[in-house]
Amino acid sequence: MSEDFRARARAWLAANAPRRASGDDEAEAGSSGQAAALAEQKAFQAKLCDAGFAGITWPKEYGGQGLTSAEQIAWSQESRDYDLPTGAFFIGLSMPGNTLLECGTEQQKKRYLPKMLRGEEIWCQLFSEPGAGSDVASLQTSAVRDGDEWVLNGQKVWTSGAQYSDYGAILARTDPTQPKHNGISMFIVDMHAPGVTVRPLKVATGHSPFNEVFFDNVRLAADALIGQENKGWDAAVVMLRHERIAIGTMSSPRTSPLAYESLRALAAGLGRTSDQGVRRRLAELYARGRAVQLFALMLREETMAGRPPGARGSVAKLAGSELGRFAGSVAADVLGDQIAGFDAAELRAVTTAIIAAPGSAIAGGTSEIQRNIIGERVLGLAKDPGVDRATPFNQLRVGTQRTEGKGPR
Amino acid sequence: MTLILTDDELALADSVRRFVADRSPLTSLRQLISSGEPYDTDVWKQMTAQLGLAGLAIPEEYGGAGAGLSALSVALVELGASLVASPLLGCVLAAEVLLRLDDAAAKRELLPQIAEGELIATLALASSAGDHVTAAGAGDGGVTLTGSVSPVLNGAEADVLLVPVAGDAGPVICLVRADAAGLTRTRLTAIDHSRSLARVDLAATQARQLAGDAAAALSAAANLANLALASESVGAMKACLDMTSAYAKIRVAFGQPIGAFQAVKHRLADMEKSWELGNAALRDAARAGDEEPARFAAAASVARVLLADAYAEAAVDTVQLHGGIGFTWEHDAHLYFKNGLSNKVLLGGPGEQLDRLADELGI
Repeated sequence: MSEDFRARARAWLAANAPRRASGDDEAEAGSSGQAAALAEQKAFQAKLCDAGFAGITWPKEYGGQGLTSAEQIAWSQESRDYDLPTGAFFIGLSMPGNTLLECGTEQQKKRYLPKMLRGEEIWCQLFSEPGAGSDVASLQTSAVRDGDEWVLNGQKVWTSGAQYSDYGAILARTDPTQPKHNGISMFIVDMHAPGVTVRPLKVATGHSPFNEVFFDNVRLAADALIGQENKGWDAAVVMLRHERIAIGTMSSPRTSPLAYESLRALAAGLGRTSDQGVRRRLAELYARGRAVQLFALMLREETMAGRPPGARGSVAKLAGSELGRFAGSVAADVLGDQIAGFDAAELRAVTTAIIAAPGSAIAGGTSEIQRNIIGERVLGLAKDPGVDRATPFNQLRVGTQRTEGKGPR
Repeated sequence: MTLILTDDELALADSVRRFVADRSPLTSLRQLISSGEPYDTDVWKQMTAQLGLAGLAIPEEYGGAGAGLSALSVALVELGASLVASPLLGCVLAAEVLLRLDDAAAKRELLPQIAEGELIATLALASSAGDHVTAAGAGDGGVTLTGSVSPVLNGAEADVLLVPVAGDAGPVICLVRADAAGLTRTRLTAIDHSRSLARVDLAATQARQLAGDAAAALSAAANLANLALASESVGAMKACLDMTSAYAKIRVAFGQPIGAFQAVKHRLADMEKSWELGNAALRDAARAGDEEPARFAAAASVARVLLADAYAEAAVDTVQLHGGIGFTWEHDAHLYFKNGLSNKVLLGGPGEQLDRLADELGI
C-alpha cells in the first residue's frame, strides 16, 4: 500500500470530517452518524466518494477505487476517531452492495453500485421475518411468477433504514414444493413501489431503530432477480458472510457509553474507583476489550497476508456481543443503585446502552447461531441433525405454533 | 508491529514442536509421575544445548541468543502444549532479574551458565501470606537470611536461588547457593505433575546481596512471569481444544457424533473463541515485550488475566466433554486440568493480577 494513500486520507479527514464527540447517544443501532439529517449524510457521502474514499476495494467500473484491503484497513484506522455522517449507507454498502458485486449481473452492477457508493440511492436488507429468525431459510414471504415478472407478498422485520431506503435486497420463496433451502430467490425490490408499507419497530430501550415492512402484491420486474431463481440461499450465505465481517470488524468507538474509557470516567465521577470490586471489574473489562480489538487486528493481518478469516468472522461477532454484555454488567456495577433510579440526565446514555447491550447477541445472527458456525466450519464438527433439510417446505412446521388447549407441541 | 508470527518464529515453533513430539510427548510426563523425578535431565540438556531455549532471551554478550521475548513466548507455547516438565521457567525468571540488576560479577558468572543449561537458577518469590525472609549483616558484603518461602519453582533442584528480601529502603535481592549451610528445601506435593515446587527454609543461611534496583528487577520478572505462564497456557489450551474437538468427531451417541449436539458444539465454540482472544492478547504482549516496553506490563497482565480463567475453564470442559473416559487416570485430560489450576495461581493469582492491571491503568 502506498503511504501516500494514508497521508491523503488523514489530510482529507482532518479537513472534512467532524471529530467524535464523547457522550453521543449511540444506544440506537449503528453509529451516531445516523442522527445526522439524511440530506447532510447524502451530501457527505457524495463528497467522500468524489474524494476517492468510498468503495475503496470495489472495481473502478462500478464506481469504486480498485484498491486493496491494505488501503481499506488504512482508511478504517485513520477514520476511527471521526464521526463520519455515513450511518445510512453502512448496511447497503457492506451487505447488498458486496453481494451484488459477487452475485449480480453486469447490468445490475452498473445500474446500482455507483449510485449506492455516492449515496444517491440507499439500500436495506430484508431477510428476517416474524416466523423466521435464526432459521432464516424457513421464510414465508412469497414471490409468484406472473409472466416475466413476480408478485411479492409477505412481511419482513428488523429492517434497519427501511424508512429512508430506495431499494432492498429481499429473500422470498419461489418454490414451496422444494426443501426449504432450495426454493428461495433473492430480489431487488423498489421500496417506493405500490404495496410496500414501512412501520417503525419499537425496541426495549424505547427507541425505534428498526422497521417492519409489509409487501402487498408488490410487482418485481424480470431483471430484479439476484443470482439464479431458487438459488437465493447461495446469495443469502454470501450476504450473511459480509454481515458477520462488517459487524465483527466494526471498531467500537472509544466514546461509546459502555467502552472501558467511558465507564472508567463514569466510575471516577461517581467516586467508585476506590472500591476494589469496581476496580477489578474495570480492569477485566479493559482486558476483555483489548482482546476483542486485538483479535480483529489479527484477522486483518491474516487477510493481508493472504489468509482470509472465513468462518472465524463468527468468533469476532460472538466475542463482540459477549463483550457488550459483560460491559453492560460492569456498567451496572459502577452505577450501583443508580441503575434502579437516577435523576442525572447524563446517566441516560449509559443506562440506555445497558438495556441495548443484549441486542447485539441477537442481531446479525444470534450468538447460538455463531456457535454453530464456529463448531461446524472452524472446528469441523458434525452438522446439526437438521431433520427438516430434505422435507418439502410446504410440509414443514415453521414459526411459532400453538395447539389450542394442549399447549405448545 | 505485527501480531501474526514471522517466518523465523514459525520455524522456531516448528522445531520446538518436533523436538517435543520426539523427545517429550505427554507419555513421558507419565514416566516422571511414576519415577518421582522432577524432570528428565536428558531432555533438559537437549532443550538447552541443542535448542538453546534457556538462553533465547539472554543477550549474546552473556552467552544467550538475544532472540527476545516473542521468540521465548513462541517456544513456551509449544512446551506448554505437551506439558513438558523442566526448570525453564525458574531459569528464565532468575535470568531476567539478574539482567535488570547492576551486579556485573553475578551477571558474568551466572548468565552464561544459565544460557547453556548448566546451572539451574530460580527466583524464590514469596506468595503465601505469612512467608517472609529477613536479612542480617554478616560483614564482607555478605548477609545471612532467615525465613521461609513457598512455593518456589524448582526450589529443590536449583543450584542458585535469588531470594527477595524486604528492607527498610525497599526490597533487595540476595543470592543463595545450593550448598549454603542452613538451607533446607522440601519438595511440595504439586497438584500439577509437570511442575516441581518446593518450600525453601533459611536458617541464618549465608547469602550475597546483589547490587541494583531490586524493585525494578522484580517488577520486570513479574511481567515476564505473566508472559511465560500465558504462553504455556495458550499452548496447553489449544491442546485441550484439539483433543476435545477430535473426540467430538469420533465419539457417537444417540446415532450422532457428539459434536453434532449443540450442548457439546457450543462449549467447544466458546473454547475456540476464548483461545483466539487469549492468543491475540498473548501475541500483543510478546511483541510489546520486545518493541514497546512501556506497554509490556499492561499487555502481559491482560494476556495472563484472560488465559488464567480461559485455560482453567477449557481444561475442566475437556474432562467434561470426554465424559467418563475423561475422568480416568489413563486419559490426559486430568494432566491439563491440574496444570490449569496451577497456572492460574502461580506467581500471582487472578485477584492480584487484576489489582496490578488496575494500578498499571491508573484506575
